[in-house]
Amino acid sequence: MIRLECDKKFRELIDRCFVEEVSAEDRRLMHDHISGCNSCKRYVELTGRTIRGLREFTFTSEPDSSAQVREILAHHTETMRQHNVQSKIWAAFAVALSMSFVGSALVYQLVKRLAVPMHFDTAQVQAGVLVFWLLPSFCSALCLLAARGENRGIA
Amino acid sequence: MTLNTTAETETAKIARGLRERDRELLADLVERCQPRLVRYLLYLTGRREYAEDLAQETWIRVLQRGSQYNGRQRFDPWLFAIARNLAIDYLRKKRKAVQTASLPDDRDEILLVSSTGPSPFEAAARSEDAIRLAGQLQILSPLYREALLLRFQEDLSLPEIAQVLGAPVTTVTSRIYRGLAALRSAFEEGGDSPGV
Repeated sequence: MIRLECDKKFRELIDRCFVEEVSAEDRRLMHDHISGCNSCKRYVELTGRTIRGLREFTFTSEPDSSAQVREILAHHTETMRQHNVQSKIWAAFAVALSMSFVGSALVYQLVKRLAVPMHFDTAQVQAGVLVFWLLPSFCSALCLLAARGENRGIA
Repeated sequence: MTLNTTAETETAKIARGLRERDRELLADLVERCQPRLVRYLLYLTGRREYAEDLAQETWIRVLQRGSQYNGRQRFDPWLFAIARNLAIDYLRKKRKAVQTASLPDDRDEILLVSSTGPSPFEAAARSEDAIRLAGQLQILSPLYREALLLRFQEDLSLPEIAQVLGAPVTTVTSRIYRGLAALRSAFEEGGDSPGV
């Protein structure tokens, strides 16, 4: 019974020595013990052999496995990059469009005030803002969507 | 200190490369980690065909979620954790397809399905001792198998293994001890005890 308790205690220590970081004192304790205990010595040998055996498995992946993965990743990277560019273009278009309308409203208000001393009527002011501000800015926003290649999306 | 700084620089470089989806860095990571990733997935699933497919899925996930890698820990445990989650989801789907009974809530239990087909361990054994272990490994619980692999082949620290497994360090050590005990029986005289 005493033998079993001794074994259990030291075998836990032996396991810890193989698996975890143990103090130098614990390690010395284990060495001292196994030098006088054949059963625990055998246990150490078996454990060491098991761990060495585990390191003696060589798995080879399919020869073209890495190349195949690299190819798939390159394809995905390109798809994601294109998707990213598309999202940026739509975001830029939305901003440009809203700026076009907000800007037109502000310009209209300003020109309407200036038009009074210059004797322009409302229809003339509206036509002027439409032709010289709203339409050009709206077309600029549309250009973002129509642009080609690397410059696409760059205002 | 120098080693730590080098390690930090390396992980920070990987984190930046993943954020920017740097093709060269990804190719380099694949070159370095693919065989180990396949090996880990083999230990986890016990099937070569699953391992190769899941490895591909894992890299795509790395590309998609690269920005989540913070560069403060080593890359390998993060990679293995992604692979593990994918393997569990994959096996869950496969099981769902073949059985109508409800699946266990515990994600780890999904891994406890006995694998059929030829053992990938026998083909990979490179010594007499490894050949003796191969049979035990095939019937050993995947949970113990993966803990043993991460500790003794990948040389991950216990906290790193805990991070991969999403389990406390005490669970990790307990799985390693139990796995070792089961495998040790392959060398014990007349020891042909069943796997755990």
